[in-house]
Amino acid sequence: MKDLGAPALFRLQHMQKKRRPRKPNLHLGPPLKCADRLREIMTRHYYLSRFVKGAKPVAWVTSGAPVELLRVFDFYTVYPENHGALCGAQKLGPEICAKAEDRGYHPDLCSYARIDIGHAFSGKTPAGRLPRPDLLFCCNNICQTVLYWYKELSHYWDVPLIVFDTPFNFKDIQESDIRYMVSQFEEMIPRLEKISGRKFSDKRFEKIIGLGSEASLTWGKVLATMKHSPAPMTIFDAFVHMAPVVSLRGLPVSLDYYRILLEELEDRVENGIGAIANEKKRLMWDNIAVWFKLRDWSLLFAERGFNFVAATYTNAWAETIHYLDPESPFESMARAYSLVILNNNMDHRLKLMEGMIRDYRIDGLVILSLRSCKPYSVGQYDIRRLLGERLGVKTLVIEADMTDFRTFSEEQIRTRLEAFFEQLEE
Amino acid sequence: MTRKGYLVKQKEMGRHLLGVFPAQYPKEILWAMNIVPAEIWDPPLEMTLANAHLQPTICSVVKLGLELILQGKCDILDGFLFPHTCDSIQNLASVINDYMKAEKPCYFFYHPKAPYDTASRDFYHNHLKELVSSLEKQFGPLDPDTLKQRIHQSQKVSALLTGLYDLRAEGELNITNEEFYRVVRHGEYLFPDDFIPELEVFLSRNKGQGMKGQAPVLLSGVLPNPPEILTLLDDLGVRVAHDDFLIGSRRLLVPANNLDDPFENLTESYFAMPPCSTKGSSIGERAEYLFRLVDATGAKGVIFNVVKFCEPEWFDIPNLKEELKKRGISTLSLDTDLNQGLSGQMVTRVEAFVEMIG
Ligand code: SF4
Ligand code: SF4
Repeated sequence: MKDLGAPALFRLQHMQKKRRPRKPNLHLGPPLKCADRLREIMTRHYYLSRFVKGAKPVAWVTSGAPVELLRVFDFYTVYPENHGALCGAQKLGPEICAKAEDRGYHPDLCSYARIDIGHAFSGKTPAGRLPRPDLLFCCNNICQTVLYWYKELSHYWDVPLIVFDTPFNFKDIQESDIRYMVSQFEEMIPRLEKISGRKFSDKRFEKIIGLGSEASLTWGKVLATMKHSPAPMTIFDAFVHMAPVVSLRGLPVSLDYYRILLEELEDRVENGIGAIANEKKRLMWDNIAVWFKLRDWSLLFAERGFNFVAATYTNAWAETIHYLDPESPFESMARAYSLVILNNNMDHRLKLMEGMIRDYRIDGLVILSLRSCKPYSVGQYDIRRLLGERLGVKTLVIEADMTDFRTFSEEQIRTRLEAFFEQLEE
Repeated sequence: MTRKGYLVKQKEMGRHLLGVFPAQYPKEILWAMNIVPAEIWDPPLEMTLANAHLQPTICSVVKLGLELILQGKCDILDGFLFPHTCDSIQNLASVINDYMKAEKPCYFFYHPKAPYDTASRDFYHNHLKELVSSLEKQFGPLDPDTLKQRIHQSQKVSALLTGLYDLRAEGELNITNEEFYRVVRHGEYLFPDDFIPELEVFLSRNKGQGMKGQAPVLLSGVLPNPPEILTLLDDLGVRVAHDDFLIGSRRLLVPANNLDDPFENLTESYFAMPPCSTKGSSIGERAEYLFRLVDATGAKGVIFNVVKFCEPEWFDIPNLKEELKKRGISTLSLDTDLNQGLSGQMVTRVEAFVEMIG
């Protein structure tokens, strides 16, 4: 597709940025140089999406869906959850959620879904315009919520919905589960061919699997640089820099991006450059980011020398990707996508967190209990108890939403954070 | 006899007891293995212990289920069965199994999510057999002929319940709304040997002209709780003409013919059952189902009586209301906490709704 106008837009943004440089903060290390490149990539992604209709088939996709298969058919993919995070970061959550609530969607429902549905009704978005989907592609490996949400969109727009159903792993994954998932892939292919008007190609699929897995592995290496002290980046950076592995996985651009990011981080490690000026304590984050608090909290923690160096959330796009194998693309994809943290039992989650706490030498854990997200949140109180008993890690649980700040109690959370800081400093 | 008394007696008779969480599971297999499924939906308990494990934004079906376990009221059970159902039940199941190290065995049952294709059917068929294999380790072998017998009984239960629903739809059951659900909900723990005769007696005793003149409505949601909703409708002279409850018509078995292969029979029945949010059924299918019920019963309106924080249901409601509105059918939605009674405001809303459809 022709890249009309995007370069001009980037130049303009760049100039604007030059006019208003952000004041350096004493508590933070030097900003990542890659951030400009990231902004460029994501702006371009959203910008091109405005003109994509007609040039490419458009699919709206859940964040944990096996997008590699869609890439074979050249779908332009839009990630409503990533869009939700963008709206959250720009503090537009309540306004867009309200558009859905006006039509009867309950304010207790996941706010990513409310933002997306609110956007569908109103067209409101900080991204200019999102293209209407030709296909809704939903994988319930992160939650059942996405299934309920996508079928609403499917009804509202009368657009086909393909569900990739990944049986929850209450215990170990079974061969019958794999068979079920592989059969679903086989059933999808003719439908995808019909919707996209393009033919499936084994060769192309293998290549994309290779690209996707390489990008995720590189993302894993990016995260692993934070095992060093001082860590060359923080989880607040990672929340932002994860956008390509979520939204552009399987495309060369995401792999290229993580290669340069990794290079920059390795360079920082070599030169002892930390993401915060004085890393005294190392923390872990559990759950999605509170997008509207990202900047505030990165400063708040940095001021005290506390650095978030690990998060279960950012890890999710690296954790199971080693299963991906171009030699057995369908089986390996079934494993890689159905064994992710949110589709796996609680024992697995606890062990994973224990391992991360050890590997990253974590002093304190912040658990965000999200009113939006049942699969991430149900069980967290017990996780706090068990990790405390086993590892003695200091833990704080805070209740909030990732985008909808109408329920956010600034004062209450501030008090709890202060108490946690004291505990950490003891 | 109380539910507890009944379960104790079943145990004394040599039957096994499984505590079963909502909602869809192959009860015929349990019956065939001499297991009584005791479903756990809305035990009348005060929440004292579950809050330490679950956030305030988790539905009370999940919370009360956990409360029942934490209060030690499940000691009589031989294990638990967790159908997949929704994110909250899924995680609760895993928390109980992995973190609380339940002293009793936990079994899990994943049902495929719609839209279905051949893969879903094959998976379901196999998954039934996998459930049997895991249960056999504790409860001994399943006899295929007994399974056929139990399927037959299940079809009988379903036929009787359908009969009951049909009579009510016609206004020819001489009972209150409250009495109707009291009996229907006995199916949540009675063994079919006992439930079938109870239903037969109930049907023959109450067939009559009792409810004809009353204003018919449909109820939708998970279950008729708070129970006061039913008494309020009784008091207002409203007849629940049919329901789309998860504990109600959504679980009415659609009998399949072929009994040669009982697993195939159960698979066929499962996929023929009415649409349900917890299975991922489309809005179109659910709306069609509601239209059919409205057409068949002449219902004047639909009340969505929905458990607070129930995502599967709350996502469907705006579109369902919209579709019903297009057909000129009035709707009301209530956001309810289990066993918490009806607030004054809710009573007023129901009264206003009834007056409007009057
Ligand atoms: S926030 Fe949670 S419930 Fe919402 S889409 Fe993401 S995983 Fe699903
Ligand atoms: S009421 Fe809704 S959320 Fe709660 S257990 Fe039932 S289906 Fe799940």
